[in-house]
Amino acid sequence: MKIKLKEMGNSLFFSLIGIAAILILWTLGVKFTSVGLLLPTPLEVLQRMAYTFSNAIGRELTLPMHLAVSLRRVVIGFSLASVCGVVLGIAMGRFRMVEAVCKPLFELVRPIPSVAWIPLAIVWFGIGETAKTFIIFMAGFVNIVVNTYAGAKQVDENMLGVAYMLGANEIQAFFHVVIPSCVPYIFAGMQVGLSTCWMAVLAAEMVSSTEGIGWTITAGQENGDMTQIFVGIIAIAVVGLLLAVLMRWAERVLCRWRVRGK
Amino acid sequence: MSETRKTVIECKHVSKTFYSMAGDNLVVSDLNFNVYENEFVVLFGPGQCGKSTILNLISGLESPTGGEIVVSGEKVSGPSPKRGMVYQTTNLFMWYTVMQNVEFGPKMQGVPKKIRRERAQKYIDLVGLNGFENQFPVKLSGGMQQRVGIARAYANEPELICMDEPFGHLDAQTRYLMEEEVERISNTARRTVVFVTNNAEEAIYLADRIILLHNCPTSVHKEYTVDLPRPRDYTSPEFLALREQITADMDNTL
Repeated sequence: MKIKLKEMGNSLFFSLIGIAAILILWTLGVKFTSVGLLLPTPLEVLQRMAYTFSNAIGRELTLPMHLAVSLRRVVIGFSLASVCGVVLGIAMGRFRMVEAVCKPLFELVRPIPSVAWIPLAIVWFGIGETAKTFIIFMAGFVNIVVNTYAGAKQVDENMLGVAYMLGANEIQAFFHVVIPSCVPYIFAGMQVGLSTCWMAVLAAEMVSSTEGIGWTITAGQENGDMTQIFVGIIAIAVVGLLLAVLMRWAERVLCRWRVRGK
Repeated sequence: MSETRKTVIECKHVSKTFYSMAGDNLVVSDLNFNVYENEFVVLFGPGQCGKSTILNLISGLESPTGGEIVVSGEKVSGPSPKRGMVYQTTNLFMWYTVMQNVEFGPKMQGVPKKIRRERAQKYIDLVGLNGFENQFPVKLSGGMQQRVGIARAYANEPELICMDEPFGHLDAQTRYLMEEEVERISNTARRTVVFVTNNAEEAIYLADRIILLHNCPTSVHKEYTVDLPRPRDYTSPEFLALREQITADMDNTL
C-alpha cells in the first residue's frame, strides 16, 4: 500500500513536470523567437480565459455560456444516441432476425466519420439545432451500438438457464441476466461515444453556428485572434477530460460488482 | 420401507442420444431408478459418464430421447422452480449481492419482499454467510460462492435439489469443510437431494443411498444403501470397507 502511494505520487510528479516543461518551453519560444508572431503566451491565454468568464466572446455569450450551449447539444444528441444505440445493440445481439437485417446496414454506416454527415445534415435539416443533434447522434450512436452488440453477444447462456431454473420467465431473465451482463459493455460504448460526441459538436459548430465553443474558435480564426483560439482549444480539452472522468465515475458506481477487493 | 415413502423421482427406461453431423452419441441408455422423499441420493460414477446429463434431464434443461422422468407425479417437460440446482461452477449472478442472489427465485415468483427477505436470510444464516448479505460474489472465496449457490437453491424451497459435482473445483481442505456443511444443512433443512460426484469418499460421507453408474452409455450398475451413523468418520473401518468395495465395483464398470 505504501509502495503504491509512492508510485502514484511519483507518476503525478512526472506528469506535472511534463506539463510544466511544455508551458516553460512555450513561454520561452514566444518571448525569444519568431514563434511569438504566431502564438500568445500561456499567461495571456489564461488571462483571456479569466476575462471571458465574465465578458462576452462575440455578441453576448461568455465562455461558460458558449460551453453550456455546446454541452446542451451534446447532452441531447448523446442521450438520443445512447437510448437508440442500446436498444439496437441489444436487439441485434439477442434476435437473429434483427441481426440479419440490421448488421450489414450498420457495418456500412459504421466507417463513416461523423464529419461526413455535416453536409448531408445541413441539406436535410438546415443549419439549426436539428442538424447538429443529428451529427452528434451519428457520432455517438455507432460506438454505443458496436459495444452493446458485443455485450449482448457474450451473455452467458448458462446464466439464462440458471434464471429459468429459479423460476424466471423470459422477460425476467432478460432484465435480470441479459441487461446486467451487458452494462459494462454499454458503458465502454458510452465512454467512447461521449468523447466522439464532444468532438462532433465542435466540428458541427465550426461549420455552421453562431454560438458554442466550436464557434468561438472559428470566430477567433476569422478575426486573427490567436488567444481566443487557444482559449477555445483549452476549454475543449478541459471539458472533454471532465466528461471522461464523469463517465468513469458513473461506471465505477454502476459496475461495482466487477471490482475485486475493498 | 420404500413402499411407504413418497416417490419423488421416477426414471423409467430413460435414454438420451445427442444427434450431430459427426454421428449420434448415445449417452444414457435404459436408465431406471427411483428417489424417495427426503432421501439423499448420490449418483456416483467415473468422469465423463453422463452424470451431468442425467441431472439436466431431471431438471428439465434437456429432454430424454426415450423413456420418461416423473417428478412428484408430473412428467418433466422443462425447467421448473420446483427443482433446484447447484452447479459445478458457481453460476452466481455476479451483478447481484449475496442477498439478491439468494432471494432471486422467490422474487421471480412474486413472493412479497418482506417474506422473501426473511426466507433468504434464513438460508444465508444456514450456510454460514451471515454478515456477507451485501457483498458481491466477486469478493467471496470459491467455497463461500458455492455456499451462496446452495442457499439460492434452498431459498426457492424446491421439492428436489440437484447438485452437480458442486465441490469439484474446490481445494481438498475446503471440500471436506463443504461436505460437513452440506451434511449439516441437509439435516437442518431436510430436502430430497440428488448429488453427483466422482469422489467415493464424498459419496459415502453424504449419501443415504449411492447409485453406481456404468460408463458410456450410462445406466445403473449397482446400488448401495449407506446406513453408517452420521456424521460419518472417514477413517472408520466400515467407511473404508465400503469405499474399497465401491471403488472395486467402479473399476469393473470401466
